[in-house]
Amino acid sequence: MHLHLDPSNGLPIYEQIARHVKFAVANQLLQIGEHVPSVRDMATRLAVNPNTVARAYRDLQAAGILTPIRGTGLAVTPDAPGRCQAERLGLIRTRLRSVLTEAWQNGIAVDELRSLFDDELSQLATAGLATAAR
Amino acid sequence: MTPVLALKSVSKSYGRVQALQKVSFDVPAGRVCALLGANGAGKSTLIRTLLGLETPDSGTTHVLGMDSRTHGLEIRRRVGYMPEKPALYDWMTVAETGWFTAGFYPSGFQNVYEQYVRHFQLDPRQKIKHLSKGTRAKVALSLALAHKPELLILDEPTSGLDPLVRREFLESMVDVAAEGRSVLLSSHQVSEVERVADMVVILLGGELICIDSLDELKSSTREIVATLPDMGTEPPPVPGQVLAHAQFGHEHVWLARGIAEEQLAERWGLPEGSAFHVQTPSLEDILLALLREYRRSPGVRPATSEAIRS
Repeated sequence: MHLHLDPSNGLPIYEQIARHVKFAVANQLLQIGEHVPSVRDMATRLAVNPNTVARAYRDLQAAGILTPIRGTGLAVTPDAPGRCQAERLGLIRTRLRSVLTEAWQNGIAVDELRSLFDDELSQLATAGLATAAR
Repeated sequence: MTPVLALKSVSKSYGRVQALQKVSFDVPAGRVCALLGANGAGKSTLIRTLLGLETPDSGTTHVLGMDSRTHGLEIRRRVGYMPEKPALYDWMTVAETGWFTAGFYPSGFQNVYEQYVRHFQLDPRQKIKHLSKGTRAKVALSLALAHKPELLILDEPTSGLDPLVRREFLESMVDVAAEGRSVLLSSHQVSEVERVADMVVILLGGELICIDSLDELKSSTREIVATLPDMGTEPPPVPGQVLAHAQFGHEHVWLARGIAEEQLAERWGLPEGSAFHVQTPSLEDILLALLREYRRSPGVRPATSEAIRS
């Protein structure tokens, strides 16, 4: 699992780690029963405070995404993929909302926004087809 | 539990320069504490006082429960210290430096030192004088870590080092913290501090202006940007403790802590025709705002929040 962290993007680091794990579960990069790296491994790999990783893992346990397996570490729960996929949509919605708010505050018209949205989407789709063909 | 560091009303001046002014704070065990502040803020003086290398004019400091004034030698033996400019003997090799330093510490030092030398991929036969700045720093860090100290003190360890070496230093610090040991880190690399610190201590002109847990400081601080209809309109007071305020034309920017969200929701009395939004600032934004505000009106402490509990 590769994680990219941005300590100064306003989102607390433990939240960023938790999000990465959730996205990895939603995308099936992490599957049911698989283990996440230990707190120490993850902390060293990311060069962040171990307490921060521990906090992210605690939150993920509380959310029912991870569960402790005796003596071996934390594993992905059977319920996790469904929950993470639902949450993924929620997170994207929040991101979208903040972009839309910014556009709104800067006086961009609704029609302009819609065509911008469709435009970007079709560009992504074309790019996706191109990569698939390669 | 005894704090690993305890300072009580520590003052120190060099001639007319006041390096530390009545600085008091505690650092509990098992934390990574970052010491921030501009150049000349008193960070190195503070560290040297803790280690008993400087005698304060007044006040007391304790490290691992020992008085720095009377137990300096014992403190330096128990603590791992890496100064900004590590003093090493140029004519020794990497291996000889470890062997020589081991003489001052209990047995086992040399073994661990050699492990770090391998870990950092240093050549034990190389002379210190032929080492690059980064490699030299790695030798100094290996020396500071080799007796497995309960407390590691690093004074700007990564200044002038390349990103790869800085990353290796961060990883070593994380490793120390993962074992429940404590770290005091003085640094200008704010983004690095943001990754590894549990708590931050901000010094300015020898005074303590902020001590808080990093999470708390970041989660309680907001940046508010408001656009008023014209230049002449005075903005209403922001509902919270203002750390900094700046005006660009008819745009106002505040950095504030403990903002009453419900008052914000009701636009806290902003005049008709104005707009605002709220952002989460980075540690660098917060630090800059604190330092600027303080520089503009010294004597007014913008953000002395209560010391860390527990």
